[in-house]
Amino acid sequence: MRAWREGMRRVNRAPAVLLGVWALTLLVSLPLTAVVRGMLAQHLGSSLAADTAASGVNYDWMQEFSDQATGLGVTFKPTIIGFGAVLDNLSAFMDDIERPVVIVGAASFYILLWIFVAGGVIDRYARDRATRAHGFFATSGVFFFRFLRLAAVQWIVYAFLFGWMHPWLFDRLYPRMTHETSVERTAFVARVALYLVFGVLIAAATMIFDYAKVRAVVEDRRSMIGAITGALGFIRRNCGAAVSLFLANFALFVIVAGLYALVAPGAGRTGASMWIGFAIGQLYVIGRLWVKLVFWASETALFQNRLAHAGYVARPEPTWPDSPAADAI
Amino acid sequence: MRPALLTVLSLALIRSATASAQPAVTGAPATPLSARNASYTIAARLDPATRTITGSEVITWRNITTKPAADLQFHLYWNAWKNARSTFMRERALGSTGLGPAVDDRQRRADEWARIDVTAIKVAGSDFTGLKRFIAPDDDNPDDETVMAIPLAQAIAPGGAATIEVSWTAHVPRTFARTGAIGNFFFIAQWFPKIGVLQDEGWNCHQFHPGTEFFSDYGVYDVSLTVPSGWPLGATGVQRDRVENNDRTTTHRYYQEDVHDFAWTTSPDYLERDARFEHPVLPAVDMRLLLQPEHAGQAERHFNATRTTLKYYGEWYGAYPYGHITIIDPAYQSGAGGMEYPTIFTAGTRWLAPPHVTTPEGVTVHEAGHQFWYGIVGNNEFEDAWMDEGFNTFSTARAVAEVYDPNYLALRYFGGFIPWVFRDIALGRETEGNRLAGYRRDAKSDAQSTPTYRYFPATGGSITYNKTALWLNTMERSLGWPTLQRIMAAHFEKWKFRHPKPNDYFETVNAVAGRDLGWYFDQVYRSSNVFDYGVQDLKSARDGEQYHTSVIVRCYGEAIFPVDVVVTFRDGERMTEHWDGRDRWKLYTYDRSAQALTAEVDPHRVLLLDVNYTNNSKTLEPKGGGAATKWSMKWMVWLQDCLLSWAALV
Repeated sequence: MRAWREGMRRVNRAPAVLLGVWALTLLVSLPLTAVVRGMLAQHLGSSLAADTAASGVNYDWMQEFSDQATGLGVTFKPTIIGFGAVLDNLSAFMDDIERPVVIVGAASFYILLWIFVAGGVIDRYARDRATRAHGFFATSGVFFFRFLRLAAVQWIVYAFLFGWMHPWLFDRLYPRMTHETSVERTAFVARVALYLVFGVLIAAATMIFDYAKVRAVVEDRRSMIGAITGALGFIRRNCGAAVSLFLANFALFVIVAGLYALVAPGAGRTGASMWIGFAIGQLYVIGRLWVKLVFWASETALFQNRLAHAGYVARPEPTWPDSPAADAI
Repeated sequence: MRPALLTVLSLALIRSATASAQPAVTGAPATPLSARNASYTIAARLDPATRTITGSEVITWRNITTKPAADLQFHLYWNAWKNARSTFMRERALGSTGLGPAVDDRQRRADEWARIDVTAIKVAGSDFTGLKRFIAPDDDNPDDETVMAIPLAQAIAPGGAATIEVSWTAHVPRTFARTGAIGNFFFIAQWFPKIGVLQDEGWNCHQFHPGTEFFSDYGVYDVSLTVPSGWPLGATGVQRDRVENNDRTTTHRYYQEDVHDFAWTTSPDYLERDARFEHPVLPAVDMRLLLQPEHAGQAERHFNATRTTLKYYGEWYGAYPYGHITIIDPAYQSGAGGMEYPTIFTAGTRWLAPPHVTTPEGVTVHEAGHQFWYGIVGNNEFEDAWMDEGFNTFSTARAVAEVYDPNYLALRYFGGFIPWVFRDIALGRETEGNRLAGYRRDAKSDAQSTPTYRYFPATGGSITYNKTALWLNTMERSLGWPTLQRIMAAHFEKWKFRHPKPNDYFETVNAVAGRDLGWYFDQVYRSSNVFDYGVQDLKSARDGEQYHTSVIVRCYGEAIFPVDVVVTFRDGERMTEHWDGRDRWKLYTYDRSAQALTAEVDPHRVLLLDVNYTNNSKTLEPKGGGAATKWSMKWMVWLQDCLLSWAALV
């Protein structure tokens, strides 16, 4: 709990990092949004269909657009409205649903950006003091190629999980488990059980790679295999704390998503309500980013609390006790 | 005539037409309603452990054509699922039929396939077993065993009759085409050797195709079914008798006159519920629901949907004459949902079924509706499936709109288990109910006049269901509901308990509408052309004291329909032009003191078959940019969330 609170405190004390990763998210999403906007505007043209599309939902138009769409346009579906977007993405993640190649490309680029900034972000949280832009990007640069090597290992692991384990669980085992199931609730329980299995595997892999990054930054490790081994060793020795922290952070995600489910805007209109809706959406995105950063910050704090010593490269400024002379003065 | 007065008169007519035929709930109307030329007395036993049915039947068949019958032909539908070489399986491999396989055929175990073996057949006491052979009248597929023929030593003359005794055994499959078993749930349809329909042109006895359903003559069914004791059983007709046997089985005897098929179901898990449909004018109907335990809370939703059908179809077309109906809520993954049989049908719902979303109501109204379009009016579903599926899709949308408003869009996530209701999107009858989106994708796939069994299997449903519903609703918007209602009621009245063909319907349309609508059916029925009208250009500029306005409208599609063109000016004036829609384009010009604001083709959307409605209008004050911005911002949040989901792995 201490590390968890400490993680949140460190993230909150570095709003520039949060704003920076939000800016990255905007950087990737804005150009694609502009493309989609162009597609929608072209299809609507000067049609009166735009009036109802502007004032609410013109579902007939949406379907007509969807039927004629190609590329990015095929992702323009009712599911983008409100909390449906969150469900759609989570469901696609857990069910490993294929996305259009443009989205996959954008996601890959976004991940690459995260790999670039990861070193700087973790370094900032490890030091728990401002590192300034120069320090941030210098550290990011230092760790970029190390984390690219780590990403190669991650890719192999996730490719195994999504490319082999997921199909085995959901395309082979699940149909076998439910082949003679004639009660939907039973099938649902089976599917939830497999989601848990798959989720635990993903969580375990994520946790290991998180701590590998933390150890790489805090200890200035060059070998990513060594960082992974170190992460495994740390998690093994601090299993309860690491798992509890992960669950606590996951609970934060659930809370953020749950709050968004309560306030997520519907279709709305153009004008002020459009901007309010967009602002709520961006607050949610910032919330998600905050949770992601809290994962890293709290894991860094846990590592430092459990295994830190003064020789570590990235550490908070030591707080020395008052001198005995202070009393005399 | 005022609609209210029309309705009262229609109801009075219905009452007078049905009062004499009003049955007690015995399965036996007071007077015969149909020709009853193909009647069956069947005794069958289900062994759930081996999933085997052993049966025998006596068919009393009468030749009601003007030609002698030199042979007899029978459907053996379950042989379609004997192996992957049948016509059904070969066509199914061409693409999804919309029926969808219950499980991937490649994963089927040997015991999950089906078969039906005729072990003996006698005609008038003479054994013809050795003479039976399989024929393939549709495609000459030597591996298809879904039609059996036996040559007769002596032809059966017109008006003559034959008594045919058949014994058979059958293996119940893991569900194909809504028939089969999963666990201890059995839904048994198309399960007995069934004689084809002899017409003046010869036997109409098609092979089983994945994109089509069935066709048979009306008769009397007296069926005794032996199943394990304690297993509730639902079937066509009324239970007349129940005998507990010594071997822990129960024999249920069901009886029904004036139907053309018989289906049944049994499972120890069924919950039984009963309710009644009552109406000031229409005959009462006892409703029996066999429900899955996990849907216990949804019983009333099933009953209300069935009531909706019996009320509206009854008022619009004619009364339901049988006095009883059985609703089956099929087991999860049974693949048996959404199918009609005389006096019994399968609905289909989900464990999580939020309110204001028409699951189970939509499918219940539709399948109950088939009691009218398929059950009572018995068209040939092999050749003209649109005459029941299309009529019924149109009617379903109309009935659902009467009762279930609003009806929201719900999408399902996480393996399809978790529904999420989009309360911004209320589904409209005209486009959603009539399934425009599906039609738009497949509009050119087949001309509707092609026999249904020859439609491309993957897209045939869009022509059968969607296109018909859309052109009927277009007729409603063009002729008015009172006229269309009279057309449908006249067709129903004339062809109930008979087998209408497309021209019979078209003749009724022309007679009741009082005009020749052959041109319309040339477009929508005899052609695969699509409708697409649009505004190509709208200009309105000052020219001296006045504004000179020009509007160019276009016929982008190949099909033709007269449409209105409406130009609205800034001072509120509206100019309406009636365009016959025949030319590729047409120019309208106006010189007015006010500038034009909008131009619209078919502004009231009479032509629901128009596949591209967005281009039907133009305005000089476009809002496309604002709408695009609004929606792209929503899409952006979706994209950001998508990115964040994958970034969780970094």
